[in-house]
Amino acid sequence: MSTTSGPAAQPGQSQTPAPPATAPDPNKVTLTIDGQSVTVPKGTNVLEAARTIGVDISAFCYHPGLPVVAQCRQCLVSIEKNPKLQPSCQQSCADGMVVHTTDKQSTLARQQMLEFTLLNHPIDCPICDKAGECTLQKLYFDHDNQDSRVDVPKVHKAKVVDLGPTIVLDQERCILCSRCIRVCDEVAGSHQLEFAHRGDHEILTTAPGAELDNPYSLNTVDVCPVGALTSKDFRFTMRAWELEATPSVCNGCATGCNVEIHHKHGRAWRLVPRHNPDVNDYWMCDEGRLTYHELREHRLAAPTVDGLPAAWDRAVRAAAERITAAGAAATAFVLSATASNEDNFALARLAASIGCKNVFYAGKPPVPGREDGKLRVADVNPNTAGVKAILEALSHEPRELGALPAEIRLVVMLGDILPVDADRQKELGVIAVSAHERGPVAQAIVALPAAAWAETSGTATNKQGRVQRMHAAFPAPGHALAGWEIVVRLAQALNAKLAWAHAREVFKDMTAAVKPWSGLTWAREARPLALRFAGSRG
Amino acid sequence: MAATRDVASLKQLVLGRKDVQDLSDTETELPPDLMTVNMGPSHPAMHGTVRIVLTVDGERIVKSDVQPGYLHRCFEKESEYATYTQVFPYTDRLNYVSPMINNVGWAMAVEKLMGLTARIPRRTEYIRVIVSEMSRMTDHLTCVGASAMELGAFTPFLYFLKSREWLYELLEKVSGARLTHSYVRVGGLAKDLPEDFDKDLTYTLDKIEGVMVEVEGMLNANKIFRDRMAGIGAMSKADAIATGCVGPIARAAGVDYDVRKDYPYSIYPELEFDVPLGTTGDCLDRYLVRIEELKQCIRILRQCLKQIPDGPIMVDDPRVTLPPKRDTYNTIESMIRHFKHIVDGIRVPPGEAYTFVEGGNGELGFFIVADGTGRPYKAYVRSPSFVHLSTAGQLIHNHLIADVVPIFGMINMIGGECDK
Repeated sequence: MSTTSGPAAQPGQSQTPAPPATAPDPNKVTLTIDGQSVTVPKGTNVLEAARTIGVDISAFCYHPGLPVVAQCRQCLVSIEKNPKLQPSCQQSCADGMVVHTTDKQSTLARQQMLEFTLLNHPIDCPICDKAGECTLQKLYFDHDNQDSRVDVPKVHKAKVVDLGPTIVLDQERCILCSRCIRVCDEVAGSHQLEFAHRGDHEILTTAPGAELDNPYSLNTVDVCPVGALTSKDFRFTMRAWELEATPSVCNGCATGCNVEIHHKHGRAWRLVPRHNPDVNDYWMCDEGRLTYHELREHRLAAPTVDGLPAAWDRAVRAAAERITAAGAAATAFVLSATASNEDNFALARLAASIGCKNVFYAGKPPVPGREDGKLRVADVNPNTAGVKAILEALSHEPRELGALPAEIRLVVMLGDILPVDADRQKELGVIAVSAHERGPVAQAIVALPAAAWAETSGTATNKQGRVQRMHAAFPAPGHALAGWEIVVRLAQALNAKLAWAHAREVFKDMTAAVKPWSGLTWAREARPLALRFAGSRG
Repeated sequence: MAATRDVASLKQLVLGRKDVQDLSDTETELPPDLMTVNMGPSHPAMHGTVRIVLTVDGERIVKSDVQPGYLHRCFEKESEYATYTQVFPYTDRLNYVSPMINNVGWAMAVEKLMGLTARIPRRTEYIRVIVSEMSRMTDHLTCVGASAMELGAFTPFLYFLKSREWLYELLEKVSGARLTHSYVRVGGLAKDLPEDFDKDLTYTLDKIEGVMVEVEGMLNANKIFRDRMAGIGAMSKADAIATGCVGPIARAAGVDYDVRKDYPYSIYPELEFDVPLGTTGDCLDRYLVRIEELKQCIRILRQCLKQIPDGPIMVDDPRVTLPPKRDTYNTIESMIRHFKHIVDGIRVPPGEAYTFVEGGNGELGFFIVADGTGRPYKAYVRSPSFVHLSTAGQLIHNHLIADVVPIFGMINMIGGECDK
């Protein structure tokens, strides 16, 4: 268990194997790349070995998370005592191997392969969604940068091919690297894409009788080195280089895939997976990817009292008066499996400090059909494990809310899920700390607007028990505050002694209280990474 | 007597104080204690927006506190968020009276990092020197004209500002903008000189020479002008070196330092010109040095016009050269290169470089730390105005308040450069 590292990990960098050991290790090999000696584990390919020492061998079809096909021929290097250039992605490292990546032969090979790849590439950059994060643009600018020598018309292909519910293909832009085919085969486990025809008429298309509709289809857009595959959700909405990336964790289910929130102008425009070999590798599911839409739907932007907007002071005072009037015995606190550890811990502490024993947790009901043995699981709450651990640690048993005891008249709840029947709900007074105004929150006596997961710093615990860090990408809408901060205000109005000033203080108290999490540290806040200056990350 | 008293008390009632004529002898004496006077930040005789808190003993300045920073525009921090090419408009706004020299300085710093310095085409270098020297002239014309005007000589001001306008018009023809040119690019220039530029410039220089004869006739032997300038704000050679003064101020004090001669760049080694030196380091010498430099500028410009060769105005290197528009719209290779240049910026290899040129006010240096991306990791500008302003407090010490005006005029503080 550990918190995820702070800054946005880049796919290439996070691959780095351990530094070379001093003693000769039978499982390691030492070779020379461009005059530098490098020691890597046996079986590592030359391309990965070069990346460890900062030598960027250009490549299109190679992806560290996919099988090697050596199809694009862009990574050719010369290896001494080898008469022909070798694709470095396919060539395993051997002891004493001497590799040159900058000699005349391999430089020329790179340039010629790029010229070849660009032969029939359409002049689409200004209207292409991938522009700015395109591998083809990056490799051309870094490795070729020569003028065109083409004086014949380009071969034209179909520009808008609807591949399925999520993706549109531009066959002209495709450079036939087959990454997407391998993603479907290996990650989703369904063969849905194929090449057809030959030569400069070769195209990417769906397999006979198939449609690109697997639940991991949008990963093909991420791995596409050009703008051939575009997401229907993201295309034509935002220029990639204008975006900023903040590392976070997907809140779509209990897997907790590591993601980057790509945001600009105070809103998220897309989620993309962030490499984490222990959780989601390079991938995430389509459903999780689209959860960012929820950040802008039914948001509660100002506190309400009896359904009318109120100032924070009045709303908090009204809530405190209700809690005092009802008394601890008639009040229930409902934590949420959709909220962060910090918010849950803060509310659980508040319940304890006013002597309330009725503490439950609630969450979205499981979706049994979702489980696929890969990334998707039935539990669609991001923090079930976390809320259970907190309740256990604070010596309440982790009771999931089923039937409320009859004497309960007031419910103080996190989130917007209250699984009690409608008749009972009418009798209850509800004080809700929620990001969304829906369900019981819309009927609440007092509703207090909370920041959603992308808007505040916090942690969530996934099904493996990993406590993972989410960073604030942009400010919360309206008057919303972080959940734990609202609890602190409520506590002050109730004269309970809770005084945290920062999420990291809540985290510190929480890790001290929750045994399995002791020793965890709070990573520094991640600064948004401007994709424009991060280099193309294709 | 009674009637007088009545009038006096009536006056006091109306004025709310005693009339001057009615003050007793002790009351009319200047107070013996020191007084604090605020000059600026917006003062008609101050160059730029700068505030001086003067402590005066009568008219004599005994203490001063010079406070720059009112024009702070964050040049250095802004540069970290712009591509190397996007910094050019920011440099225009440093010393906005001679923006071309700033453009050239920034371009040279980036070129040094990229190893392009020796590959800049000859014609480009000539054009860079021509526009730099024209900018030096606009700088000196403004400085001298405005200073004379502040001492009451309005005619030289009008004559010199008119001459400056002729040069601005030419620079506008060259770059498209009268003041903020953004004309220089990394590796070359935005465009070539306009048609008949040499004729226009020769004609303008002839006219300016005539104007200078007239203005010198009006000022050099002018009793008022000399009284206000000679012996005012003097600085010794040792002080000038110790405080880091450069340019006309250091040269007026006898420091023989001109970047164009001592660390020659561009095509300056091939041009003949003299570096005028002063002896006393006072305001009059600063004025005379500037007048002589104007003449040397004209000399340099005439040589350049004679020697300028034909050729390209941009180095032929795909790392810095934008492809022609025709190719950009018709081939994918040029389209990508154009896109990368504009969106990601020129890719400058990691390293650090300092280059310095002779600006209107002296050594103007740019220091860049590059991290291999399209924007500077750190940018720093060594702006002469800032260094010169730091000596202002010392220079005006023991002078009269009225002397602040010529001293400040001759320091020629430019707010944009000083507050960078």
